[in-house]
Amino acid sequence: MLVIGAGGAGMRAAIEASAAGAQVAVVCKSLLGKAHTVMAEGGIAAALGNVDPDDNWQVHFQDTMRGGQLINNWRMAELHARESPERVYELETYGAIFDRTPDGRILQRAFGAHTYRRLCHVGDRTGLEMIRSLQDRIVQLGIEVHMEVTLTRLLKDGDRVIGAFGYNRVDGGFVAFKAKAVIIATGGWGRIYKVTSNSWEGTGDGVGMGFDAGAEVLDPEMVQFHPTGMVWPPGVRGILVTEAVRGEGGYLTNSEGKRFMLEYDPKKKELSSRDVVARSIYKEVQAGRGTEHGGANLDVRHLGADKIKKKLPSMYEQFLKLADVDITKDPMEVAPTIHYAMGGLRVEAETGATTLSGLYAAGEAAAGLHGANRLGGNSLSDLLVFGRRAGAAAGAYVRDVGQGKIDERQIDQEQKILLLPLSANGTENPYLLQQQLQQAMQDGAGLAREEKSLKVCLDQILELRQRSARVHVPGSRKYNPGWHTARDLRFMLTVAEAIVRAAIERRESRGAHWRLDYLEKDPALGRVNFIAYNEGSQVKLKTRPVPELPAELAKLFADAASTPPPSPPPAAKPPEPQQVRT
Amino acid sequence: MSAKTPTATTTSGNPIVLQIFRGDTDAGQEQRFEVPAVEGMVVLDAVHYVQANFANDLACRWNCKAAKCGSCSAEINGRPRLMCKTRVDEFGDREIHVGPMRTFPLIKDLVTDVSWNYEVNKQIPGFAPAPNEPVPYRMLPEDTERVYEYRKCIECFLCQDVCHVLRNHDDKSAYYGPRYMVRIAALEMHPLDTRKRTGLLHGKAGVGMCNITKCCQEVCPEHIKITDNAIIPLKERMATDVYDPVVRIARKLRPGRASQPGSESPDGLAGATQPQRFAVKDVVRLKTRGRRFARVGRLLPDGKLEVWILHMNGKVQHWDGPKIVRNSDVTNNYGPLDEVGIGSKLVEQYITEDHAAEQPH
Repeated sequence: MLVIGAGGAGMRAAIEASAAGAQVAVVCKSLLGKAHTVMAEGGIAAALGNVDPDDNWQVHFQDTMRGGQLINNWRMAELHARESPERVYELETYGAIFDRTPDGRILQRAFGAHTYRRLCHVGDRTGLEMIRSLQDRIVQLGIEVHMEVTLTRLLKDGDRVIGAFGYNRVDGGFVAFKAKAVIIATGGWGRIYKVTSNSWEGTGDGVGMGFDAGAEVLDPEMVQFHPTGMVWPPGVRGILVTEAVRGEGGYLTNSEGKRFMLEYDPKKKELSSRDVVARSIYKEVQAGRGTEHGGANLDVRHLGADKIKKKLPSMYEQFLKLADVDITKDPMEVAPTIHYAMGGLRVEAETGATTLSGLYAAGEAAAGLHGANRLGGNSLSDLLVFGRRAGAAAGAYVRDVGQGKIDERQIDQEQKILLLPLSANGTENPYLLQQQLQQAMQDGAGLAREEKSLKVCLDQILELRQRSARVHVPGSRKYNPGWHTARDLRFMLTVAEAIVRAAIERRESRGAHWRLDYLEKDPALGRVNFIAYNEGSQVKLKTRPVPELPAELAKLFADAASTPPPSPPPAAKPPEPQQVRT
Repeated sequence: MSAKTPTATTTSGNPIVLQIFRGDTDAGQEQRFEVPAVEGMVVLDAVHYVQANFANDLACRWNCKAAKCGSCSAEINGRPRLMCKTRVDEFGDREIHVGPMRTFPLIKDLVTDVSWNYEVNKQIPGFAPAPNEPVPYRMLPEDTERVYEYRKCIECFLCQDVCHVLRNHDDKSAYYGPRYMVRIAALEMHPLDTRKRTGLLHGKAGVGMCNITKCCQEVCPEHIKITDNAIIPLKERMATDVYDPVVRIARKLRPGRASQPGSESPDGLAGATQPQRFAVKDVVRLKTRGRRFARVGRLLPDGKLEVWILHMNGKVQHWDGPKIVRNSDVTNNYGPLDEVGIGSKLVEQYITEDHAAEQPH
C-alpha cells in the first residue's frame, strides 16, 4: 500500500500499516523529516491530567466540540479525546522526550480554549520532536521511503483507487505506484493565501487529487487564521508566533497599551479560541488601534529573560535574527496569519476511509474532527490518533482485496497535463499566477468575508483557471520548481474554488468563518456541513447533516451547562497565565 | 550563461546583487541577478524573487522559511548557512554569492544529493528501552535536560558540509560526520536507552577521525555545541570502553558485565533487563554533596555505582574515592564541561592510554 505524505499522519499511518503486515511505501515531496509537522511549536493536546488531575477525555471532548462550534464529527472528537493520551505515551517509546514535571512525568501547558493545562510539549519545538521520533521509527522498521516525489493523480480501476501517478522531482522522470490502498496524508492548503504560516508544500494537492478522483471534500470554507503571525519586516510576514507564547503567560496590547482581550473575552482572555483572538486583533486594527505595521503587541517581558529563553527559545531566536527584536526587552508585533485547513476529505471516523474504496485520509488532509475551528494542540494529536487508525484500517483492507488493473489511458492523460507547461507556447508565468491567486484569496476570502468580496474572488479564480491552461515554464524536467508550481497551481485553484463556493453559501458567522453581512449564527446552518464534489470536472456543492450527538455524549454538555464552570471549582482557575514549575 | 543581467523594475534604494550558482553535473557558473531590496529580506526571499521573475527553473530546496526544517542550506559568501536565516542587509553593498553545499554531489543549481546522510542514519541502532520499562515513562527533568540540545538538530547538514573529514578528504567511508555524532549522543544519553554504541563509534562511525576543530559547532544554526557536548563525550565513552585497561580486565574476569565494543547483540539489549545508565568512567554529577562531578569506577549489582569524586585544587584535579552511590543519586546532565576545565583535556588523557596509574584502580 501507498502513503502519500511523510508528516506526522503519514508516518504514523505507515508505522501502523507496517505493523499490520502490509508492505508500505511512503512518498513525500520534500526530504524526509522536513514536512510541515516540524513547524508545530506549542504542543500536543492529550488529557493526561499530569498537571491538572481533574482533566479527562470527557472535558477534552467538550472543549474540542465547543471550539468547533458543534459542526464537528462527534465520533472523531470522541476517539481523538479518548486515544490521544495513549498516542503520546507511545511516542515516548519511539524515543521522544517531552518536557517533564519535577517528579518525572510529562509536563503540560495551558493553551487557547483548553479548560485545563493539557499540551505536552518540548519547549517550542514539539513538532520537530514528534517528526524526528516518527522518522527514527520508520527507519528502524525499514519502511520504504521515496523522497522528493510528487504524485498528481490517483489511478482508479472502476470506483476503486489502485495506485497513484506522478513525477520524481530530482530528474523529472514519471513514476507510477500500484497499490491496493492509498492513504492521503498531504496536509493542508495554506499556500493558497498570501499571508500564511505554511510552507510551499501546503498546496492542497492531496485533497485536490482525491477530489479529482471523486472523493467528497468536507467543510472547505473553514480556514483557520492563527492570531499571531509575524508582521514586520515584510520578508517574514506570516511566520508563526506560537500560541505557547500566550500559554506561558504572554498578553496582547493595542497601540494604546490596553490589554484588549480583557474586553473581548474576560474569562479566557488571550487564551480564548483562535478564531476569537484573531478577530479581536483584526477589530482593534480596524478601529485604528493597531501597531505601526497593522497588528497588535504581544508581550512576554514580565516572564523574565531566563524563562523566555528556556520555554520559548526558537521565538527568541526568530525575532532576534529576523526582526531585530529582543523579545526579552521589547514586545513582538503580531497579526493573524493563515494557519490550518479544518476542511478536507470526508472520512469515516473509525477508519479514515473516504467515500472511494481503497482511499483513506488522515491528518490535516482529512476533515471532521475540528469543525469550524481547531483548538491549538489538537492537530498533533489528530495526526497520531487518526494516522494510526487509517494505517490500521488500510492495512486490514489490503489483506482482503486483490490487485487492481491499471488503465494506461489515465497515465497518458496525466502525462499530457504534466508536460503541457514545458511544451506549449504559453505566456503565463506560474509563479505570478500563484501570487495573484494568493492575493485574490487574501482579499476576498480572508478573515472577514462578505458576499460581494467572495463573488469577486470567485470570478478571479475562474479567470485564473482559464489562464492556467496557458502556463509556460522554461528549462527541462530536471529539478525545475517552475514546472512543479505549474501543476500545484491546478490543485490550488480547485481547492480555492471549493473554499469560496462554500463560503458564499454559509450565510452565517461560525468559528473561523466570519461573515460581515451575516454576523450571527444560523441554527439551521449549524445542522449541516458543506460538501464540495466533482461533477464533470466542475466544483459542485451540497450539504450533509451534521452527525447527531448520541444521548450519553449530549448529556456531558447538559451536565456542564447545569454546573458551571465546566469543571469542579478546585481546578477552575487554569488558563490564568501559568504557574507551572519549570 | 546569459550575458545580460536581469534587473528588477521597481527598486527601493540600491538593488541587491546576487551571484547564484547555476548548473548541474555537466557544467555550471555563477549568474548575476539584481533584486529590489525590501526591509528585513533574507537570502531565500531574494532567491524566490529571482525564481518568480527571472529564472523559473532555478532549483533550490526550502520548506518552512523559519529556520525550523533545515532545507535551505547553502554556501553564502563561502560560509555554510541557512538561506532563510541570513539577512541580506548584513552584507551591505557587497555582492552575495550563493552556491550549493560542496561536500555533496551536485544535482542542479543550489540542490545537492544528500542521500548519503540518510543511508548513514540507517546504520545507527535506534532507541532501545528495556523491554520491561513501564509505560508511561518516568524520567526526571535533570536526566532529560542534556538530551534536548542534541534533539534540537534540524538536519540541515551544514555541519556535514563544513566537516573537513567529509569535505577535504572527500572520504565518507571513515566517519559518519557531526550530525550523526549528535544523533548517537542523543541515543546514548537518553535516560532509558540500554544499547551500547561505543563499538560502532570506534569502528564504522569513526569518532576518532574528528580532531576537534569545532567548525561544525560554529556553523550550527541551532547553536548545538556539537564538538563540546556531543563528540567529546562520545570520544570519552569510546575510549573508556575500547582502550581502558581496567575495563579490559573487568571484561575478561566478568564476561558479559561490562560492555563489549563491537559485539553488541543485534537488538542492542546486551542481555540487560535493568537499564544501566552509565558506563565505567563516565563523568557524572552527584545530585547531592554540592553537585560535585564524579567519575564512575565500577558498576555494582543492584543499580549501585562506585564513583570517584572530583575535587579541584586550583587547576589540579584530585579524584577522591571510592564512594558507593545508587544509580539514581547521580545524573549524566552535567552541564558545560568547560566550567571546570575538564572535557577536551580529559579526552587527551584517556586516548593516550597511559593514565592507569593516576586514575581510580
